[in-house]
Amino acid sequence: MERRSNLVAVFGAALAGAVLVYGASSVLNPYLLSIIAFLGINVILAVSLNITNGFTGLFSLGHPAFMTIGGYVTAIMTILPARKAHLLPDLPAFLARMQWPFLPALIAGGLVATLAAIIVGFPVLRLRGHYLAVATLGLIFIIQGLATNLDGYTRGALGLNGLPELTNLWWVYGWVLLTLYVCWTLKHSSLGRTMMAIRENELAAACLGVKITRTRILSFALGAFFAGVAGGLWAHLVTLITPTSFTFLLAFQLVVIVVLGGSGSITGATLVAAALTIATEALHPVEEAVGLYGLSQTLLAIAVLLVLIYRPKGLFGMAEPDLLAWIRKLPGRQPTHSGSKRHREV
Amino acid sequence: MKSILTRLMTAAAVIGMLATVPHVKAADPIKIVALYNLSAGGLASIDGPSLNGAKLMAKQINDAGGLLGGRMIELTAIDTKNDLKEAATGAKRAVSMEGVVAGIGHSDTTFALASAPLFQAQGLPFVTSGATSPDLPDMIGGEMFLACFADDVQAHAMAEYAYNTLGIHNIVVWTDNAMDYTKGLSKYFQDRFTKLGGKVLLNDIYMTEDKDFSALVSRLKANPDAQGVFASSGPDTAGIIIKQIREAGIKLPILGGDGYDTELVSTVPGPDLSDNVYFTTHAYVGLDTGTAKAFREAYQKEFGNPPENAFAALGYDAMGLVADAIKRAGSTDAAAITKALNETTAYPAVTGQIAFKNGSRIPSKPVAIMYVDHGKVNLKTTVTPQG
Repeated sequence: MERRSNLVAVFGAALAGAVLVYGASSVLNPYLLSIIAFLGINVILAVSLNITNGFTGLFSLGHPAFMTIGGYVTAIMTILPARKAHLLPDLPAFLARMQWPFLPALIAGGLVATLAAIIVGFPVLRLRGHYLAVATLGLIFIIQGLATNLDGYTRGALGLNGLPELTNLWWVYGWVLLTLYVCWTLKHSSLGRTMMAIRENELAAACLGVKITRTRILSFALGAFFAGVAGGLWAHLVTLITPTSFTFLLAFQLVVIVVLGGSGSITGATLVAAALTIATEALHPVEEAVGLYGLSQTLLAIAVLLVLIYRPKGLFGMAEPDLLAWIRKLPGRQPTHSGSKRHREV
Repeated sequence: MKSILTRLMTAAAVIGMLATVPHVKAADPIKIVALYNLSAGGLASIDGPSLNGAKLMAKQINDAGGLLGGRMIELTAIDTKNDLKEAATGAKRAVSMEGVVAGIGHSDTTFALASAPLFQAQGLPFVTSGATSPDLPDMIGGEMFLACFADDVQAHAMAEYAYNTLGIHNIVVWTDNAMDYTKGLSKYFQDRFTKLGGKVLLNDIYMTEDKDFSALVSRLKANPDAQGVFASSGPDTAGIIIKQIREAGIKLPILGGDGYDTELVSTVPGPDLSDNVYFTTHAYVGLDTGTAKAFREAYQKEFGNPPENAFAALGYDAMGLVADAIKRAGSTDAAAITKALNETTAYPAVTGQIAFKNGSRIPSKPVAIMYVDHGKVNLKTTVTPQG
């Protein structure tokens, strides 16, 4: 009974979302639609960073690097061959002739980002401590340097522009759903439990037979895949990508979103990512009127300090507040608060 | 006061129209969007005047009774903040506005490449006032027009002037590797300069964000045979480059393109150091008659200062070119405007007559060569390159 009502609730929510997307696509103007799409991309980024930083307790700053990789790979796959001849005359012939549909191009972008994560993760994740933060910070600059200097593939500092405008709300919605589904399933699976065990007590987890390095690399690579896809979506929404499109500042914002929402809480990351995107857009006119550019960054930093002082575990901690209860309409039912209780139900 | 008066007059005109014509349609404004970097970066020093020029032209047309029987031009400016992402999303916002018929703007190729494709995708014409890459129409498509000459023309003009008139036969070239404009300009200059028999001693590169040019300066010093420097730079670095070369005690002539046509060239190094600099720009100065004079006077009257640089005139011309096409098309249908733009044979622009011949969407116009003498910018000569 419970299992079925859960399934109904999830499908109901997805359907309600699809109806909203349909309504928005037909009513709103392209500018507002692109803001909603940015919101969705930020949700994908925050939720996927949560796998690494929240579930496994690693500290990765690498999302901008994976987005850059994913963005460039996707872009090179989708640019019209005729335009490629103009933009990238030095591209190897097999790439120059190629034009892939959007979905395989996005997946290719995600997979290349995953590969980069495995290469970086393999040596670093065997060590204990905060080596990953340093390594991923370095990775941002390495990827930026490569994108600036691999002229033949990336057009250097100029970036690739005039990309086909392929990203629409449906693509973003689809990937948001997939990201949420994968993370939710992961969190309540044995693999997810293993990740959390590593986070809570590495030694105890190892004693119980958890393969620490393998699990860590897996969680790091999974986060990188979604970051790569999000980079591809972003590039085809904005219609360009440059080496400085995704900087350290973005890594900071994403880490803040995860911290604010509660490390390990998918609901928290989703809500905070959405709220911050809307707040940043809404603050644009205020910034322009007051002449205080960077106001939104300052407010964000203050919000982080406040949350760290008053709610050190973030808004939701590890928990997933039951947002779907209203669909189930089961009177007298207690909303579940902890991830572990939730697990038994699903 | 003046604007209230204008508004009252407009209102009176509208009421008059309403009284005589049964439907309101004819008084609908014609919406045109201008995309410029206004609030950040060195480009703001050339984009700001361009927007002023465009506003001036729109105002003059409206004061004269508008287009197509009394329809006013409504020019909306979007600030792209020296950020490519803002340029692309700004263009998205522009094409989604109700009733927009055309776009103008940008003084830099990289920015035009970011925003113009979105106009192209919607079938709306886009006339850039100052983005000068000759590849733009090919890269973007049939809706892309230039109101200015292209970089091959100005680079060739400077190469010929340097080789023939200044007698520079050995040169060092500096190129900003982070702008399409500077890379193209540098390439066209070297093509022509070496074809004339000149020798490029050293090809050095830097990035737009660079502030310290000491490494490039010392490599320049290591070439005692150099008779000049061609520094292909945008407005961000032009002043800094002049300052640091002169501070190192190098007196060689510094040559550049229209990216130097900003007050930053004299204000950043100061009048003592800003000397012996030659650059090419869009011709309009030095003509004391006709449209150029009328434009300078109108600009002075409207904004309280003479046009800051040639980009003011280009903004004026880009707006005028679109208005002229709307007039000849007799409608605000985007396809009809594009067709009329393609058929432009002799638009009397301030920066030289504009004609789009043989399917080309780049006008062929004369190039002005400017000389900076202790912070003062003077017109040296106006040339049309030979090859």
